[in-house]
Amino acid sequence: MIKRVDYRHITRSYGTILAGIAVTIVFAILRPDAFATWANLINITRQISLLVIIAIGATLVMSIEEFDLSVGAMASLGGVLAAKMAVAGFPMILCFLLPPVVAFTIGFVNGWIVTRFRVLSFVVTLAMSTIIGGFTFWFTGGATIFRDIPRSFRYVGSANVLGIPLLTIIMFVLVILFWFIMKHTSFGRKLYAIGGNEVAAEVSGLNVKKYKILAFSLCSALAAFTGILMSSRLGSAHPTGGDGLFLQSYAAVFLGRTVFKEGVPNIWGTFVGAAILGVLANGLTIMQVPTYMRDLLTGAIIIAAVVAQKVGRD
Amino acid sequence: MLLETRGLSKRFGQQYALKQVNLQILPGEIHGLVGENGAGKSTLIKILTGVYTRDEGQVLWEGKEVSDLNPVASRRLGINVIHQDRHLIPQFNAVENVYLGLEYETRGAVAIDWKQMRSAVERIMQELSIELPLNVPAMYLTPPQKTLVEIIRGMMTDCKLFILDEPTASLTDKETDILFDLILKLKQKGTSVLYVSHRMEEIFRLTDRITVLKNGELVSTVQTSEVDLDGLVALMTDNWQSRKRLTERRVGAEVLRVNRLASVDQKVKDASFVVREGEILGIFGLGGSGRTELLETIYGLRKSARGEVVLSGEAYEKRTPRESLKRGMVLISEDRRGQALIESLTVRKNVVLSTLDRYARVGVMDGKREIRDTEGQIRALDIKTKGVNQVVKELSGGNQQKVVFAKALLAEPKVFLCDEPTQGVDIRTREEIHNLLRAKAEEGKTVVFVSSDLQEMLDVVDTFVILTEGRTTHVVKNEDLTSEQVLSYCYAGTREKESSR
Repeated sequence: MIKRVDYRHITRSYGTILAGIAVTIVFAILRPDAFATWANLINITRQISLLVIIAIGATLVMSIEEFDLSVGAMASLGGVLAAKMAVAGFPMILCFLLPPVVAFTIGFVNGWIVTRFRVLSFVVTLAMSTIIGGFTFWFTGGATIFRDIPRSFRYVGSANVLGIPLLTIIMFVLVILFWFIMKHTSFGRKLYAIGGNEVAAEVSGLNVKKYKILAFSLCSALAAFTGILMSSRLGSAHPTGGDGLFLQSYAAVFLGRTVFKEGVPNIWGTFVGAAILGVLANGLTIMQVPTYMRDLLTGAIIIAAVVAQKVGRD
Repeated sequence: MLLETRGLSKRFGQQYALKQVNLQILPGEIHGLVGENGAGKSTLIKILTGVYTRDEGQVLWEGKEVSDLNPVASRRLGINVIHQDRHLIPQFNAVENVYLGLEYETRGAVAIDWKQMRSAVERIMQELSIELPLNVPAMYLTPPQKTLVEIIRGMMTDCKLFILDEPTASLTDKETDILFDLILKLKQKGTSVLYVSHRMEEIFRLTDRITVLKNGELVSTVQTSEVDLDGLVALMTDNWQSRKRLTERRVGAEVLRVNRLASVDQKVKDASFVVREGEILGIFGLGGSGRTELLETIYGLRKSARGEVVLSGEAYEKRTPRESLKRGMVLISEDRRGQALIESLTVRKNVVLSTLDRYARVGVMDGKREIRDTEGQIRALDIKTKGVNQVVKELSGGNQQKVVFAKALLAEPKVFLCDEPTQGVDIRTREEIHNLLRAKAEEGKTVVFVSSDLQEMLDVVDTFVILTEGRTTHVVKNEDLTSEQVLSYCYAGTREKESSR
């Protein structure tokens, strides 16, 4: 028998990646001079690095079938805290480490409330997001922090190593680290087990609460770290600077779910999702398409991806 | 004749759930329906209410044949069923709930005339002399009040037959009395009632006639006044003799002791038993007796209110599934898809789930050892799968259950709590599971076995513990035991109550 190519199977299994490649090719044909260059590729990796890092955290929380809507506010808080500390003359290492520790604690509280009182994470983290936003506003007086930020604080966000941005390198280190954790450690296995069937995980002897709380805590810490990198890159910190990353990060995770046929949140999928969003943003900017068109397209792509996956499963 | 079935049959696959059932319900009678677990009561109700379609036979309503019986048609005929789990919208009050699915009374074009609707409900309440708060959301009503709401709903559409399926399962004695008064009033109004219950005392107190089902067949319909409890139980069961294989198993030291255990939700009220090394102990009870809940309370999945569990001579107080596994006690849950398996994950990831930490060094999984052990279990239990990485969802029921056992075996427990371990599996797997449990017992392990299939229990267990309404009432050695004897123990609890009245 002649083996026919099963197009439906291919689109189901690799649809998202194919769509990403298609978008890239279209831009490369339309603007070979500006888009399809090595420099622009490097540029894109730097542009998506913040999104990828915050989305890694969102992937952890979504792998246990929960939501953390406070990641955007947490990123803003992280950026502001670090900038204030830098201005106040704290050692750099503390500026980069202390805000994630604070965020870890807030994430712990999120997770504790969700598991202890069995309330929707959706609601808890939304409320927490508001609290964090209020705190950040009070802390900064609503003003952007940009005066007296030391050069050393801006180093991480602007440095290049062998022509590659440090942000890009940090992103890849974290992607590989968390891919390994989710794929090859008992911790990752437990998160996926809890996401697959929480009751069965508990009956099988897993400490469900502990791992759920850990997922929320890590997610918050990564969000705050993203905020610091953002401040370091911009050389300033705005009290709502990270808020925009929230929707983008979930868009990346949802796109990422569709990359592999298991349909679960996963680190490489999230990376691919963020990359598609990044390529789109970059390409459209080069084409001088207005920003609102970008938003329209991004939204449409996410809906198309999740619908395609549902249809593909039946 | 209000309702008559002729030669009614229903098959699931090759298995007959109902076989040639000829049921007759007279106008204005209270008709009891009894039978063991799996006798076909639920199937019969589901056919009468149009949930299932029959494979053979006729249904006659007031002498006329009804060809197309679906849920809507059934309600239109005047058949209303009241389930254990009540179908009310918690936030709606009684009037709003009664009018669900009915045409609303309107004033003008669109405005709903609540006043008129309310008075329509009140009229029916008066007829039946029911008292019920009408402004309170259903979630604040007591269980019998909720039942009242459903009965009113039925009466709104000229109900001729009420089917009550274990309506007293969650009621107190006093609430039961209120419900019974109402049922008798319905009868006076000429409404027929089909009353399904395991509680023989209620059947005798309430009904005019009783129909007995057994293995899907209608054994007999008798006048309640002409039968006694022993006679009825004899009709309900084939008198199987225990077919337990005699083995040279030596029963050793005490391993698990449960003493006056009660759960917070009172599904388990007062349970005590002792199991020893090498023993297979069966807990038998009728539906709603709290078998599953008892195992869950022991395992730590359900909160206990009172009582103690002693495992290997040590008091085991703060029970959690995690701690139970650590101490060598494993639960094979009745709810395979809900509690035992993570269907979206692979065979391998399910099999090692309870022992994950053993396969990890500084948190990193040892994939090779994991695969080797999973493959070992696949061979040992003869699990039919394409390989360790096949998703569990794709396996058959029997093979899924073997995956559950594989996971349990890797934890090397000394106590197996098995809740309906052979439910929904094929005959061969069932036999394999029995042999596995016997082998484990011979190794000196302890098995607590729960099944609603009495015949299976008689084949497998060494000792019976009878559980009635959350209380352990008898402990019986499985020697020359018959199913009739076991059932009479089950009903003895209710008989004692009856005589004390």
